[in-house]
Amino acid sequence: MPRLPKRVKFRKEMRRVRDRKATKGNYVAFGDYGLQSMEGVWLTARQLEAGRVAAQHFLKREGQLYIRVFPDKPISKKPLETRMGKGKAEVEYWAARVRPGTMLFEIGGVQPDLARRALLRVAMKMPVRCRFVGRRVTV
Amino acid sequence: MKKTVNLAATTRDRLGSRYSSRVRASGGLPAVLYGHGEAPLAITLDAKEATRHINSGGRVFSLAINGAEQIALLKDLQFDYLGDTIIHADFARVDLNEQVEVKVHVKLVGEAVGLKSAGAVLLHPASELTIKCRVTGIPEEFEVDISNLEVDHSIHVREISVPEGVTILTDPEAVVATIHMKKEEAVAEAAAAEGAAEPEVIREKKPDAEDAKAGDKKDAKGAKDAKPGAKPAAKPAEKGKK
Repeated sequence: MPRLPKRVKFRKEMRRVRDRKATKGNYVAFGDYGLQSMEGVWLTARQLEAGRVAAQHFLKREGQLYIRVFPDKPISKKPLETRMGKGKAEVEYWAARVRPGTMLFEIGGVQPDLARRALLRVAMKMPVRCRFVGRRVTV
Repeated sequence: MKKTVNLAATTRDRLGSRYSSRVRASGGLPAVLYGHGEAPLAITLDAKEATRHINSGGRVFSLAINGAEQIALLKDLQFDYLGDTIIHADFARVDLNEQVEVKVHVKLVGEAVGLKSAGAVLLHPASELTIKCRVTGIPEEFEVDISNLEVDHSIHVREISVPEGVTILTDPEAVVATIHMKKEEAVAEAAAAEGAAEPEVIREKKPDAEDAKAGDKKDAKGAKDAKPGAKPAAKPAEKGKK
């Protein structure tokens, strides 16, 4: 089941700019390996869920999967064959704001090879180019 | 403990993001050296060499700044938006006998007993420890043996043995490694399905309650304004017919 917020302040939201580079959430923080987006996109709740299912089915009950983004942006869409105007349309789906560099998924507690193969399957479900990354150097 | 790494550095006169970009474009790494009550000094390192030493775990550097030697501790790094390339480094002036606070990575070694059962997941929440030690005695990493770790058991920071002269500043009760059984996926999906509906809008007035309230007010107002024997007001629908 795709995820969506429990409570929101406003039902609809403006579109806003989406292709700025990530300045936060752009490194592996919880797991050992991560899947990083190389492009900006509004990642829909369905796409995110497809990625989660792909990873869980592959990992079975091994490892811990972390989803680093949440679809909290309501995207509205006018119905087909509708004239313009008459106010903003109803919410069609929910999306996560993803910038180039955003970490989408992380995996912990598994061998690097298994993590790579699991995240490769997730990457196939993503609408953007992604890459497999490890943890940064500790300072 | 890793050996002190020698790096050549030159001072920078022109500061700011534009000049730093030019330094990077010419193969340099902008850095700053501060501490010990002296003025901060903007320096440039060779990017390739500095990155190689930093990525291989180098912490203490001997910087040759225009010929003068200075021992410095790597304090902070800035990365680009993809987290690959180091774009700036912070160094602190130190003496070799000085006590410093640093973060050290924790490495888990051994095959845990608890991991043999299906659904067991090994987690290490505290993957790095903050320690206090002498500059010359900074450990490269702490090795923690998890071979006796069972399901629902944890290894805490207090259980880690450290070399002499090293004090751990991280909370002693923090969990370094733990094994827990993973929940069934079906349970999680059922829980997700339960909450799947339209989200509740904060501070949105409930339409039914509002209408009822408004209706009551209107009636009350109408009753108050209406004079005895006066005609009732025309309905909006009748107005529209014109």
